[in-house]
Amino acid sequence: MGEQQLDCALDLMRRLPPQHCDKNLTDLIDLCPHLVDDLLSTIDQPLKIAADRETGKQYLLCDYNRDGDSYRSPWSNTYDPPLEDGQLPSEKRRKMEIEANAAFESYRDLYFEGGVSSVYFWDLDNGGFAGIVLIKKEGDGAKNITGCWDSIHVIEITERARQAHYKLTSTIMLWLQTNKSSSGVMNLGGSLTRQHEMDAPINDQNTHLANMGRMIEDQESKMRLTINEIYFGKTKKVMSDLRSTEKQSELEKQDEIVRELNNAMANRGN
Amino acid sequence: MSEISDAEKVRIASDFIKHAPPGEFNEVFNSVRMLLENDDLLKNKCVNAIAQYNVGQFVPVKLDGVAKQTLITPYNDLGNGRFYDEVSKKSFKYDHVRKEAADLQPHPAESGITEQWRQALQTQLDIYIDDHYAKSGTGVVFARNGVFTICIESHQFQPKNFCNGRWRSEWNVPVGDGKSGSQEMKGKILSQVHYYEDGNVQLFSEKEPVLKVNVSADFDKTAKEIIHAISEEETIYQNAVQENYANMSDTTFKALRRQLPVTRAKMDWNKAQTYRIGQEMK
Repeated sequence: MGEQQLDCALDLMRRLPPQHCDKNLTDLIDLCPHLVDDLLSTIDQPLKIAADRETGKQYLLCDYNRDGDSYRSPWSNTYDPPLEDGQLPSEKRRKMEIEANAAFESYRDLYFEGGVSSVYFWDLDNGGFAGIVLIKKEGDGAKNITGCWDSIHVIEITERARQAHYKLTSTIMLWLQTNKSSSGVMNLGGSLTRQHEMDAPINDQNTHLANMGRMIEDQESKMRLTINEIYFGKTKKVMSDLRSTEKQSELEKQDEIVRELNNAMANRGN
Repeated sequence: MSEISDAEKVRIASDFIKHAPPGEFNEVFNSVRMLLENDDLLKNKCVNAIAQYNVGQFVPVKLDGVAKQTLITPYNDLGNGRFYDEVSKKSFKYDHVRKEAADLQPHPAESGITEQWRQALQTQLDIYIDDHYAKSGTGVVFARNGVFTICIESHQFQPKNFCNGRWRSEWNVPVGDGKSGSQEMKGKILSQVHYYEDGNVQLFSEKEPVLKVNVSADFDKTAKEIIHAISEEETIYQNAVQENYANMSDTTFKALRRQLPVTRAKMDWNKAQTYRIGQEMK
């Protein structure tokens, strides 16, 4: 029953307005408290920004740098609000975390030209380890349109000798809003998720960081194309199908002209 | 973790039901039912939310023996689960879960002149629906206590393509009651689209236009003018939404994440550190 309820909860989150996903998730947890851990670790929420208390540098919050009500900064490796015995990554993961945060700052600069990014790592019970790469970029409000992009890349890594298996689950959230006299309010938002798995060698030229980085870069670029197609193709097409700006009689005339042209071409072909 | 009260559960379940995307009521309802684990609570307390959903969505309904569909709206809601059909002049009981009509009964009609206005408007509205909502539109002129409201609903349900959408518009028509000359006509246009393959993307759009229309004693002339004004405004709205799409895609989206860096080359992950140090040295 618990598993069936979890399926229903996830299906519900796929149907309710993503613009209210924070409230929907809170309500779901209130309704089914026993699902709280599964829901928090499965359902992605828009990324929230915090500032490192020591350096003032911004970082992103998620379930994987959370302990109770505190969040760990990837820059100072400390919890805010302070936590006496907050969970910290192992020395090996922390070293990797520091390198990855620096690398993804470069990636963020190249592709997003601004924004905030954070990377967190943790060890898994099965001997492997996992990481999450978060990126948030807010638009500048040009043309009276507010926009926001959130990337959430979760990657699980299993090592075998000089080889590693990577399993990547990427979720990208895109939020767009405008309010103009001619169109009224327009709110287009939500998220897409894709998975990808890969085996890669581990050596000097192919570190874990390089393998993960390339994988995430490629996946995110592919998803950008898919997002463009869905947000500005499919949803726009449905809008056009709900009401036609042209009269049906004019559309029928156009269809008839096309039919006549096709007939003429077919006859000439014989 | 403490359990919440039944009242709070009903509030949450009702909220979920009222926010089901068009064409996905059954899926949302079934999930809510599984999560609530209390059919009595669902049946007895959430019934209002289901009714509110249908009325708010202008759900179309087919009546036995009546050629054209009517809509479930606040403007023909008689209370006690009964609604009115303007064409057959009958009331019917509506099952909000199954979305079916039953028990057609004769119902007193509006006065003669009110019906004349309503019919003139409906005639022009039917032409408009055929012209611009040919794929799946329904338009009804409701008249109640001398107040005229036009409701338009159009939907596209394509679950096989993981895509659903609905258009609703309503217009408060300022005719009857001796009105003449330039009159204000208020409207509301709503669009919703849901795409849910490996994700959840939704469009919500809403505009509340206020138009000027010229009203005279000539039923047909006035009806034509009113429907023409509605047609023009709905086209303005639709073109504006299309323009928003173009701006969002060409400007906003492109500025959030580049398809490739300025260098036109992918990142060299083995030189990631060098790049950042270089940045910091500028």
